[in-house]
Amino acid sequence: MTVDAVYLLQLTLNGITLGLIYALIAVGLSLIFGVMEIINFAHGELLMLGAFAMTFALPVMGLLYWPSLAVAILAIMLVGLVIYEVLLARLKPDEFERSILITLGLSIIIIHVMQYLFTATPRMVDTQYGFEGVSIGSIRITWTRIIGAVAAAAAFGGLYVVLRHTQFGRAMRAIAQNREAALMVGIRPRVVARNAVVLAAGLCGLAGAAISPIQLVTPYMGQFLIFKAFALVIIGGLGNIPGAIVAAIALGLIESWIGGFYEIIWQEAAVFVIMIAILFVRPDGLFKRGGMRVG
Amino acid sequence: MSAILQVTELRKSYAGVHALDGVSLAVEAGSITGLIGPNGSGKSTAIDCISGFQKLDGGKVVLAGNDITGQPAHHIARAGLMRTFQTVRIYERLSLRDNLAIAAQQFDPATWLDEFLRTRRYRQAVDKAEVRARELVELIGLKRYWEIETGILSYGQKKLVALAAALMPHPKIVVLDEPVAGVNPTRIREIEVALAELNRAGETFLIVEHNVEFITNLCHRVIVLDQGKKLAEGTAAEIHTDARVLEAYLGMTPEMAEAEMRGAA
Amino acid sequence: MKLAIALVAALAFAALPLMTSSNYIIGVGISALIFTVAAAALNLIYGFTGLLSFAQLGFWGIGGYVTALTVVTFGGNFWWGVLWAALINAVVALAIGYPTLRTNRHAFVIMTLTFALLVTLIARDWVDLTRGPLGIPNLPKPSAFGYHFGTTGQYYWVAWAFSVAMLGFLYALCSSRIGRTLVAIKQNEPLVRAQGIAPMPYKLSAFAISAAVTGAAGGVFTFHLGIIDPLFLDFYYMQTFLIIVIIGGAGSFWGVIAAGIALSALPEVLRFSADFRMIIYGVILVVAMFVMPTGVAGWLRERQLARMREQLR
Repeated sequence: MTVDAVYLLQLTLNGITLGLIYALIAVGLSLIFGVMEIINFAHGELLMLGAFAMTFALPVMGLLYWPSLAVAILAIMLVGLVIYEVLLARLKPDEFERSILITLGLSIIIIHVMQYLFTATPRMVDTQYGFEGVSIGSIRITWTRIIGAVAAAAAFGGLYVVLRHTQFGRAMRAIAQNREAALMVGIRPRVVARNAVVLAAGLCGLAGAAISPIQLVTPYMGQFLIFKAFALVIIGGLGNIPGAIVAAIALGLIESWIGGFYEIIWQEAAVFVIMIAILFVRPDGLFKRGGMRVG
Repeated sequence: MSAILQVTELRKSYAGVHALDGVSLAVEAGSITGLIGPNGSGKSTAIDCISGFQKLDGGKVVLAGNDITGQPAHHIARAGLMRTFQTVRIYERLSLRDNLAIAAQQFDPATWLDEFLRTRRYRQAVDKAEVRARELVELIGLKRYWEIETGILSYGQKKLVALAAALMPHPKIVVLDEPVAGVNPTRIREIEVALAELNRAGETFLIVEHNVEFITNLCHRVIVLDQGKKLAEGTAAEIHTDARVLEAYLGMTPEMAEAEMRGAA
Repeated sequence: MKLAIALVAALAFAALPLMTSSNYIIGVGISALIFTVAAAALNLIYGFTGLLSFAQLGFWGIGGYVTALTVVTFGGNFWWGVLWAALINAVVALAIGYPTLRTNRHAFVIMTLTFALLVTLIARDWVDLTRGPLGIPNLPKPSAFGYHFGTTGQYYWVAWAFSVAMLGFLYALCSSRIGRTLVAIKQNEPLVRAQGIAPMPYKLSAFAISAAVTGAAGGVFTFHLGIIDPLFLDFYYMQTFLIIVIIGGAGSFWGVIAAGIALSALPEVLRFSADFRMIIYGVILVVAMFVMPTGVAGWLRERQLARMREQLR
């Protein structure tokens, strides 16, 4: 089989975009797991809500991309805050199974309320950029993809700065590394957990908003993505943020390459096969769970 | 010399800190041996390594002539070493009777098929274990709680349940990790009497404990650990007059205290 | 006592087709029986062993597809199909259980979730085998010894016999010393190891048995529906099993059976719209996890224990 270089490059670029979206979700899950030792099953629904927020915000903002993006992110952070205060704050640390079942219930409720209100009909999102893009040779990328990828990369940069250099970022890492010691030096776990959930929700809102002009928006769009994000969190090592990012981008690339040459079934199965293989070789995940490491 | 448990040159370090730095010890069959030392001296690490709950970095553990070094915990238990835990571990949602029965079940010949079909072999094994369980319950004085979930018992009573469970399969040696820590003084006396009685009946014990009085009353030999090394060994009386032991326990310099904190964390 | 009640209930259930000729009611009866079996299998792995498995949905789907394909594609009969469904699921459970159970229970939960998704995707995308979203319609009802279980009423007996056999098997298992060991592993795994018991064979076997029973149940259910397509892997089924186990009381054999029979009627009572029904399921799940996380059986047990504590004081 001769491989067309342009085609391969196109697949690679698509893969990176896809991987960045995965990473936004997986990092949020990792963040929450690191601080609270729980898994938020409804995380995919936050993404879906972010995409829906975009569909409502864009027409109001006259199709302007950036203000709509900001609105969507803020809205989802607010949703995250509410979810934390109403549900997650009542969980004790390490009530893992309970957290999954509660957030599973929440996810069912969100999906079906959205479907009830807005029907399952897929929505298209139009922005000021439409389908315009840049062409390099015979490769074409739409602006919305480029901006989505840039925004995701910027978000990771921002996250790095927050975790590394701000008071509340340090508190988050402290809790993830050693809960008892963090409590002794006066870190309040509730505040840190709330910040983590809101931050993770924001990343998810960004992912949803960024993906909305690329993909059709439906109430179910979060479900398939979240399953993969779960697997990524395991592959990267539970609670390990750089691990999740690396695993996510790698998966995006692998899926895109496989999808370009083989049947779709292999693309979908890739993540599962990789996860099982990695658990066989390295039971702690690729990068181990060393508290919450950032770089 | 008939050491039932022979530990040679045990080594273990965490991130460069030597928790155990070549510890050797021997427990005579039919004796009670005490293992004491300040916080972070490596006592708990030592018995975790011996019982297979932590991987050791070096050394050798021989139980009744069998090399059990580095084997998984359940193999070591089957070889005849039963242990209890510092923070008491029992099945809180099961009855006292079930707690004791489970402790012995791996040591009878009943297979899964026997258990599923409730064959004669299974029933005989269960009956035999039940006799033993009733004896032990009598001994620890918890007869009235026979059918009751152990979760409702007091902390001291739970420690007794853990002790009885460890004795269920007639082990070659029982390792007790702080059997009286957090137990009220009258109960400590009861545990002391029970252990002495069991020892007269032929049981061998290795006891890790902070309570020096308890150790002094009970143990034939005492081994003192400090900073991962054996500091002294001898009868209780000998230990009491050992200058190094007194310094380790009482005359600690601030640096040493800090080193311990690191070891404990 | 409990066994006597169970026996009477089983016989009463057997008589359902004699009491009504409504295919609708008999259909609800079949759902109740099969869902109860699947929930009891989930109870074995989650309630008894303490491992939350979402893979049940995948096993259910594999069971349905294996049974249907055995009959339609490979020319076997229904009974062999159900047997294959059980066997293949047991093998799959061993293959994915071994690497994951070595790690920790977090990884196990997430792996089982991903597995459930994978099976859904295979059902949808491996068109050569599963015929994709169109599914396999017109599954023929089975026969045995010259008797054809052609109508819903007749097929009910198949479902009944299957359920009674499976529940009997699971009861024998859960009430045996093996079941008690599973509970012990759930409660205190280090202690189990200190007592010479290796947890891994128990966990793996529980997972494989749970998978086999769920798969067989999926096979029987799909022939009741008469069609299999990717909708057979709708998350709705997993939620139903979970809610039955949680409301009944994870770890209580009879609690889950009672909840299975009672709650299987629920979707039929709540026939507003599919969305509304799911919203109510979600609300039940969230509320139950906060109000009575140990289910009805757990709640009763807590009260009993509280009384006992009073008496001992």
